[in-house]
Amino acid sequence: MAYPYTHEKEVRILSKHFGEPEARTLDGWKARGGYRTLNRAFEMGRDKVIEEVKASGLRGRGGAGFPAGVKWSFMPKEKTRPHYLLCNADESEPGTFKDRELLRWTPHQLIEGMIIAAYAIQAEQAYVYCRGEFFETTQILARAVEEAYEAGYLGQDILGSGFNLDITVHCGGGAYICGEETALMNSLEGRRGTPRVKPPFPAQAGYMGMPSTVNNVETLSSVPFIIAEGAEAYRKNGTQESPGTKLFCVSGHVRKPGNYELPLGFPLMELINDVCGGLKEGRTLKGVIPGGSSVPILNAEECADCELSFEGVIKAGSQLGCASVIVMDDSTDIVKEVRRMVGFYAHESCGQCTPCREGSAWTEKILRRIEDGRGTEEDLDTLVEVTSQMEGTTICVLSDSVAAPVKSSIRKFRGEYLARIRTGEKVGAA
Amino acid sequence: MSEARKIPFNNPGWAGNTGEFSLTEAEVRGDEYVGRRPPAGGHPSGASSYPYMLAEKDPDAPLFEGAYRERFDKLRTRYPDARSALLPTLAMAQELRGYVSPGTMDEVAALLDLSPAYVRGVATFYTMYNKRPVGRFLIQVCTNISCSLCGGDDVLRAFLNNTGTELGETSEDGLFTVVEAECLAACGFPTTVQINSRYYENVTPKDVPEILERLKAQGE
Amino acid sequence: MADQQSPKTVTLTIDSQQVTVPKGTTLLKAAEAIGVEIPHYCYHPGLSSPAMCRMCLVEVEGWPKLAPSCKEVAQDGQVVFTQSEKARRQRTGVLEFYLVNHPLDCPICDQSGECKLQNFVFSEGRQHGRGREPKRVLGRDDFGGDVLFNADRCVMCTRCVRFMREVAEDERLTVVERGNRAIIDTFFENGLEGSPFAGNIVDICPVGALISKDFLHKARAWDLDRTPSVCPSCSQGCNITLDTRDNLVQRLKPRENLEVNGWWMCDFGRHNYEWINRGDRLEAPLVDGKATGWPEALEALLSRLDGAGGSGKGVTWAHAPNEEMGMLKALMEHLGGGEVVYRSPRAPDETPLPGFPPLIRRKELAPNDRGAEIFGFKRVGDQNGEGGLEGVAQHDGVLIVVGDPLTDVGEDFGSKAELFVYLGTRGSPAARNAQFVLPITTFAEQEGTYTNVQGRVQRFWPGLRAPGVARPGWFILGALLAELSGGDVPTSADRAFALVTERAPEFSGISYRDLGNRGTPVNHPASVSGD
Repeated sequence: MAYPYTHEKEVRILSKHFGEPEARTLDGWKARGGYRTLNRAFEMGRDKVIEEVKASGLRGRGGAGFPAGVKWSFMPKEKTRPHYLLCNADESEPGTFKDRELLRWTPHQLIEGMIIAAYAIQAEQAYVYCRGEFFETTQILARAVEEAYEAGYLGQDILGSGFNLDITVHCGGGAYICGEETALMNSLEGRRGTPRVKPPFPAQAGYMGMPSTVNNVETLSSVPFIIAEGAEAYRKNGTQESPGTKLFCVSGHVRKPGNYELPLGFPLMELINDVCGGLKEGRTLKGVIPGGSSVPILNAEECADCELSFEGVIKAGSQLGCASVIVMDDSTDIVKEVRRMVGFYAHESCGQCTPCREGSAWTEKILRRIEDGRGTEEDLDTLVEVTSQMEGTTICVLSDSVAAPVKSSIRKFRGEYLARIRTGEKVGAA
Repeated sequence: MSEARKIPFNNPGWAGNTGEFSLTEAEVRGDEYVGRRPPAGGHPSGASSYPYMLAEKDPDAPLFEGAYRERFDKLRTRYPDARSALLPTLAMAQELRGYVSPGTMDEVAALLDLSPAYVRGVATFYTMYNKRPVGRFLIQVCTNISCSLCGGDDVLRAFLNNTGTELGETSEDGLFTVVEAECLAACGFPTTVQINSRYYENVTPKDVPEILERLKAQGE
Repeated sequence: MADQQSPKTVTLTIDSQQVTVPKGTTLLKAAEAIGVEIPHYCYHPGLSSPAMCRMCLVEVEGWPKLAPSCKEVAQDGQVVFTQSEKARRQRTGVLEFYLVNHPLDCPICDQSGECKLQNFVFSEGRQHGRGREPKRVLGRDDFGGDVLFNADRCVMCTRCVRFMREVAEDERLTVVERGNRAIIDTFFENGLEGSPFAGNIVDICPVGALISKDFLHKARAWDLDRTPSVCPSCSQGCNITLDTRDNLVQRLKPRENLEVNGWWMCDFGRHNYEWINRGDRLEAPLVDGKATGWPEALEALLSRLDGAGGSGKGVTWAHAPNEEMGMLKALMEHLGGGEVVYRSPRAPDETPLPGFPPLIRRKELAPNDRGAEIFGFKRVGDQNGEGGLEGVAQHDGVLIVVGDPLTDVGEDFGSKAELFVYLGTRGSPAARNAQFVLPITTFAEQEGTYTNVQGRVQRFWPGLRAPGVARPGWFILGALLAELSGGDVPTSADRAFALVTERAPEFSGISYRDLGNRGTPVNHPASVSGD
């Protein structure tokens, strides 16, 4: 069940046991059918496991949507150096709160998925990079890993297969940028968490320069089902291009915010009005950010026919990202919220690339000035041009994340900016 | 705030009163499952995760002795080189001393055979390493987009008013420091506040005095 | 055969020009090969390449995004544009971001005139700024040693951090904070004091963030003349330039030579230039204490040499160029042979640059110890370059001292000599007993060569005008020798070098043309002794 609200339209695969304290224990998880896929995976062999995951079409759940099976197949077939599996639990994208739920309710699901993934990519060392703020969550995960060691699911010669795996829980220090896969590797190496230039790609030179694969928590948690039930079963939900179910994180101005597990392709308005109980009394929809603050804002018109799949959201004019749906009703002060989002990026920018380092701070300052009523109409043109100068020119896509809310909001909510500039009037919230 | 989501304060960590779940705070936080983790860190795989936040900080605590030394040694075995252990080591030093001072950076550098300048560069990159001492309770209020849409700024103001502090400053009694946090990844439970190592969810301005009282009374 | 492509090279097109480069060459270096300069900050050939300044982005046909040319490896058949609309617009955009917080310090900034930000903005930046927000102000910081840091001007290329980490292997600098608050700093009060190579970060800083205290506000870059030379402070022979103005050396800068010093030099040599500017120089020939012109002085000397019967002894020093040493040797041989000794100070140890192994600040604190060895001169004296001249002080024959300032010898030095000729740059009290005191030039005022510790002969050029009528030592000695032996006067340094190569098999076959401005090893370098 999703948490803290459930809905009958949910298809509960990953979240079936959210809210059940027993499910996080090893015995509880086994009683619920857990850990039965390991022997099956060992029987299938590495190549077939990768083929199965490829066939399932599982796409990365961390925001990029890159097919997981394909990513695994980039790892060297012949192992001449240590391989690493890195689980990205540095959930920091504003609006996203699914990995925390997966970690605290079903940590063994993740561990099971990691064992299968590590087996497939021939990794004997795996790290779960948890964001530093997740104190309580990390301790639950650490206890679960400990239980797995005690039961022989981790360590040497797992279930007599000859496969060894060590998982280490690693706590970060508080930096959004470490959710980017190469920055994560740098941070894991004990460096400043700055992204690296690609190529080389992690599968060639990753953690410590060794072949590595970085996968999101949700992606890895999806693996046991695929091995247990098969790629076809996984494809029963979702669309052709975006198969499977997804944990949608809905927040903002809905009555029942929370995580809901639904098939990809689910209509956005149905999610808001039906599953989440709709907007609050007397409110109308102003806009939705469908994939976490890094993607363009959709206005109410664009939301009407939007389907929540990777291709569907692109069609509507945005991106699915990590499927964090932030709902904004007509009480929203768009100028303030965009300023807050850009301020977040300015705060979290690693500072390597000049366009992002200077541009994000500059953009925030201009937006603050507009928010305080001291903006001009030229500022709007400057904002669009400056953010366009940032896009696509940097090592990672944080610049693009600054550009997305700014450009989409100026294009679609220009009236609000103009009102603020001309009369200082705050549209929306007081 | 919507009537349908009026949730009494004393359920930090879960939104239990939705009618769908009836869980205790301990069940949601997993207190029983985690148990009282040993200071020496239990199994080496989890040596990096904090056993507990120390109530008393000692800026001169040695790095490291006793159980912490054991934990540090376990930690070192999990990584192919010393540098990789830097972030958890800094976190352990902060756990003992309350913040990461220049002297602490120097000592950690010596422990891991890195240059002090390098350690400073890494420590200042990450938000969670306090560069100055903070109050007994570090109150981090999320004001990012999802919480902002649901009144996060009001919660922040409530904390500032009720503790009598300026943003980032420590109260006179040394108990509270209030700062803004970036998204804490609990957006479905606005407004989320992190106090030391705990998450408090669904916080509204009128919950704030109660939270502060509870902190003072229970010490955590 | 020549135009068949071996699999070890790739051929690509850059700005409509074809170029073939070895596999693994970056686009930036491939462009360099055909003279196309791609603007950049963070890239430096001697350091790792983080591709973070975003200045070097070029357009590659068929690629949706621009590629950082300092990292992107050239591929066969690629078509690259560095001046396309897209590439130029991107550079203009990035330059605007650099100027958002960069202070308009050009009028007071030392880097002005040799500043990469100035240059690139002038050629491709926006005409008018549109930033209305107050700029970030961080002020000035003393990093210790010779380095001042103007944080506001920093463009965060991190060349300095990478130099200290990768080349000096003494990680004293770091980036603190992140995002727009990021800045370079030391570990609190532990600065650069004591680092023997920290001066290099001033060279590689593309803007005026890191500047030399020694050079602060001394001269404008465009007023300086730059002359290629060789550092005289030790036997490593780092290639340098003399930056001069008003006939004074204002500073020394390293010059690229991958065989000797890479792109670097040590602080000891860098700051040891003030002696070159000293004004207490010999300016005219003195005969028996009276100033005369060269013709009279040389005629008088020649007639005295003719009549002189006693054996000869010579003293030189390790600052003398090969030409001077060679001419002295030839002259001594013509006068019937006679030992030539030299003094040379030594440091107790050497200082290597770990990240560039060829470069070591050597124990020999003079540039031409190897030359002296090649010519068979004997080293005397102690580690301070003093003493050792007892055998020479009371010599009763012909005594020729070239270069050595004789600051430590007694009043009666050379008083017994039948003929005492002193060629020097400065007057020396010990030369009071010399019948002939002839003014010569320092290395900075003449052409010549030094042989470094690795046995590499390197040319240097004059950056200053000689005072008075001082002339190069090889010229004087060469003229004397020519008169005495009936040979030709060496009228230029390369003629002098050609003459000395006849005397030393190590130099045979080498001419000035071979030396270029980066030098060449002597023949049989194994025969050059180590120390």
